[in-house]
Amino acid sequence: MSFLAPAFLAGLLAIAVPVIIHLIHRERKVVIEFPSFMFLERIPYRSVRRQKIRHLLLLLLRCAAIAMLVTAFARPFFQRRQAPITGTGARELVILLDHSASMGYAGRWEKAKDAAKRAASGLGATDRATLVVFAGDAMVASEPMARPDRIVAAINAAKLTAEGTKYAPALKLASQIVSASSLPRREVVVISDFQKIGWASRNEIGFPKGTVITPVDLGGPSAADIAVSQVTTDRDSTGERDRVTVAARLINTGSVPKAVGVTLSVGGRDAQTKNATVPARGALQVAFTSIAVPSGATKGSVRVTPDSLPQDDVLNFTIAPDEAVPVLVVEPASARQNQGLYLSRALSIGDRPSFRVDQKNVGDLTPRDFEGRAVVVLDEVDPPGGEVGKRLRAAIDAGLGLIIVPGTNRAETWSADWRALLPATIGQSVDRTTDAGGTLSSLDYAHPIFELFNAPRSGDFSTARFYRYRALVPLTGATSPARFDDGSPALVERAAGAGKVLIWASSFDSYWTNLPLQPVFLPFMHQLGKHAGRYADPRPWYVAGEVVDLSRHGELTAPFTNSRAGSADSTRELRLESPSGARDRVTASGPNHLVTLHEQGFYEIGGRDTPAGSGRPIAVNVDPAESNLSHLDPQEIVAAVTSDSGQRQAGSDFNAGTPQDQENRQKVWWYLLLGALFLMAVETAMSNRLSRATS
Amino acid sequence: MTATAPPQQSQSFLDPSVLARIGNLELLAKVVVEGFINGLHKSPHLGASTDFAEHRAYMPGDDIRKIDWKLWARSDRYYLKEFEADTNTNFLAILDVSPSMRFGAQSEDGRVSKLTYACYLAACLTYFSSLQRDRVGVATIDHDIVDIVPPSAKHLRRVLHSLDRIERSARDAKVTPGKSTLQAPLRKLSEMLRRRSIVVLISDFYEDPDQVINALSHVRGRGNDVIVFHLLDPREIDFSYTDASNFIDMETGTKMPVIPEYLRQQYRELVKAHTAALSKRIGETRADYALFDTSKPLDQALFSYLVAREKFSRVR
Repeated sequence: MSFLAPAFLAGLLAIAVPVIIHLIHRERKVVIEFPSFMFLERIPYRSVRRQKIRHLLLLLLRCAAIAMLVTAFARPFFQRRQAPITGTGARELVILLDHSASMGYAGRWEKAKDAAKRAASGLGATDRATLVVFAGDAMVASEPMARPDRIVAAINAAKLTAEGTKYAPALKLASQIVSASSLPRREVVVISDFQKIGWASRNEIGFPKGTVITPVDLGGPSAADIAVSQVTTDRDSTGERDRVTVAARLINTGSVPKAVGVTLSVGGRDAQTKNATVPARGALQVAFTSIAVPSGATKGSVRVTPDSLPQDDVLNFTIAPDEAVPVLVVEPASARQNQGLYLSRALSIGDRPSFRVDQKNVGDLTPRDFEGRAVVVLDEVDPPGGEVGKRLRAAIDAGLGLIIVPGTNRAETWSADWRALLPATIGQSVDRTTDAGGTLSSLDYAHPIFELFNAPRSGDFSTARFYRYRALVPLTGATSPARFDDGSPALVERAAGAGKVLIWASSFDSYWTNLPLQPVFLPFMHQLGKHAGRYADPRPWYVAGEVVDLSRHGELTAPFTNSRAGSADSTRELRLESPSGARDRVTASGPNHLVTLHEQGFYEIGGRDTPAGSGRPIAVNVDPAESNLSHLDPQEIVAAVTSDSGQRQAGSDFNAGTPQDQENRQKVWWYLLLGALFLMAVETAMSNRLSRATS
Repeated sequence: MTATAPPQQSQSFLDPSVLARIGNLELLAKVVVEGFINGLHKSPHLGASTDFAEHRAYMPGDDIRKIDWKLWARSDRYYLKEFEADTNTNFLAILDVSPSMRFGAQSEDGRVSKLTYACYLAACLTYFSSLQRDRVGVATIDHDIVDIVPPSAKHLRRVLHSLDRIERSARDAKVTPGKSTLQAPLRKLSEMLRRRSIVVLISDFYEDPDQVINALSHVRGRGNDVIVFHLLDPREIDFSYTDASNFIDMETGTKMPVIPEYLRQQYRELVKAHTAALSKRIGETRADYALFDTSKPLDQALFSYLVAREKFSRVR
């Protein structure tokens, strides 16, 4: 018998209640002083004993009622037993081979492959075996087959990766394979160093009954390792040329301090070398002398003297010059005094990122003004027409962000092409001067613009007053992350090609609102500019196994697309070359914009015609967690995935449905509940009878 | 003289529960005895002895009223007729004050304990005897002599005071576990009694009848007249308990879970057999035996005493 909610069985402790009550009740009996037991002692004691037995029956009734009630709540069910599986018959074997980075420690990988070959060598003619290699994810390296030579070939072809270890995907995949198998014997061999960090006890994985799980433990309790776990690059822009200070963090998992040489390489050449002694089970920060920031994205690495796990002895990164977000603010011919002052001053402050703001009169616009721009702001000007307008729309399609501030302009006079591009219909002006101005009452803090303000005391928009704004009606596909207190949208956004178009209902100066005078204005404008310009913080390095969304990393693709050259070819095919030399075709947006970085080293992204070595390098490193070689008892995993005591025993009922299904069909709890009620009724009758008899 | 049945009209006045409200034991005894005497149909005056003793030759100075003139007529000599002197009788009340005698006090219904009842009874009998000019004394016993007031014509107040102290001390005293026996204290008391006495033994007699007889034999063997009052609470007789309870032996302190409904009948039979054995065996020793339950008025006890006293005077 099994239980669907075995935790309720703890309620069996309630059986102690009637026992205690019986005992207490007995203690509470009236104590009577009697002159002498001279005659009482001559009377046989049997009558008293008989009374005890009757009380015991009552007690048993009460205990049984409670036990049945508790058991009913535990939802018991009987597992179907099928014919026991004998030790003979065809076997479904799944070999889980760990090829994470930590398996490169001190020859573990070779041992692992040997163990896998041994497991495959025992295959019979009717057996089937599947090789699954796993690290951060699991992959079937060989389809189920009976020929050991092919399994061995797949084992030989398996290679170490730089990814971290996760056991759950591999076990899940193995569970699916053996569950789908019709062979009577099922066995899973897990070959790994059993890193503790790779297993989370909350993983809910179950194998069919009868599955034999055999761990092959290649790890050990004491694994000493020196690793470069992190590299930081601190910029210094105070001098004529930006400089960067590289600092590396070294960790030692061994029990003795270790002296190592630490070398900084920039652009493929060793720049500096330092000697350091990393304390036992400790970390050490090593800072190098600052170097000038190269003109382009440059490869860099910090490496230490190789040890037993060479993969984490080097950490790659890239150094790139800080790229400002180019913003063009287009103003009307008769602009108000200081109309663009607040906007330009707000964007000119800060360096992460910095904004390069250019202001231009609408009459002076030329088609080339949009080249290399990330954001264009039409500050109370009509969208340009003619060739300029075409170039602007093309830039939007290529990824440019357009921010429209309609002001008092009449949108209905705009061309149909522009009106179709707008995310909202621009209505009449709303005058809120009579009620002291409107406020922003609804902000979507999940939106990238406002997520910065989500935390408490991270910016207060409620103090800003909006005395006049345009009534916007969002169109299909548009979103409105900010609304005024009368429900009218304050900001409307809609994607257009690879770029996006946003409409701000009020003004960016103090003409219609006092928002520019509020502290929150500066971060708001930065967030707006970053969002419109598709800016993402450049990362010096990535972790193996990480998926990169190229559409969000313009700093990687921008040099090789025409988006900043005025071309509308945002889906232009790019080339991504892995450290091993494998090439993939990717795009900045579209179907191939997601890239998984599997290998340690430097990927290189470039245009189809970009010469090799001239592309943008992307540094990829071993998952730092792989340096944590803490060992996990394999039986812990085995016990977790075979939680049922009968798992390793013969017998299979995995086709009988889930335990919930079985319990639902049997409904044993219903009968137990009825039984408990019946016993309670009998108990009531009996206790009343006893009560009357003794009164 | 023959004593008759006690008057019914005085019964309520002699109810132990009513008497328990009287704090003064002497007053209690007086109320009981005089009330009892006034209710008798015949005079209960007893003990004034006029029995002839001897003739003595007349001596000058003798009272001529005592000259036996009939003898002078026959012998022509003067002889004085002397009568046997009016000698007082020793009266000793022996009270069993063992823990079992403390049973029976019920505050809710005013019922008195056996010991209190015994004290009332002893006080009444002592007062009654004192009216007869008997020398009165009292002894309290459990497994030994606890206290004794030797019989004396002047000891009425001491006896009453002793009885009062017994009653009070019994309410405050802690129970000392132990089985009391009559054998040893009665033997000692019999040795202390130099003169023939009327001995009233008041106890609940939770002892084997043979042992009781053996104990009484020490007293009876010295020529004392023995009256045995067997005191029992009504619940000791009918075992009228209803609830299953833990019983504690007041003598030994041992506990026993008891279901009264299953024991009652057998218990009653055993008590009945015990009292019957006691009555028979004590009667065989020419002592008088009377069984009382503490709910009965005291005049019944007095009446029993008078009957016994009359019997003793006849056989003297």
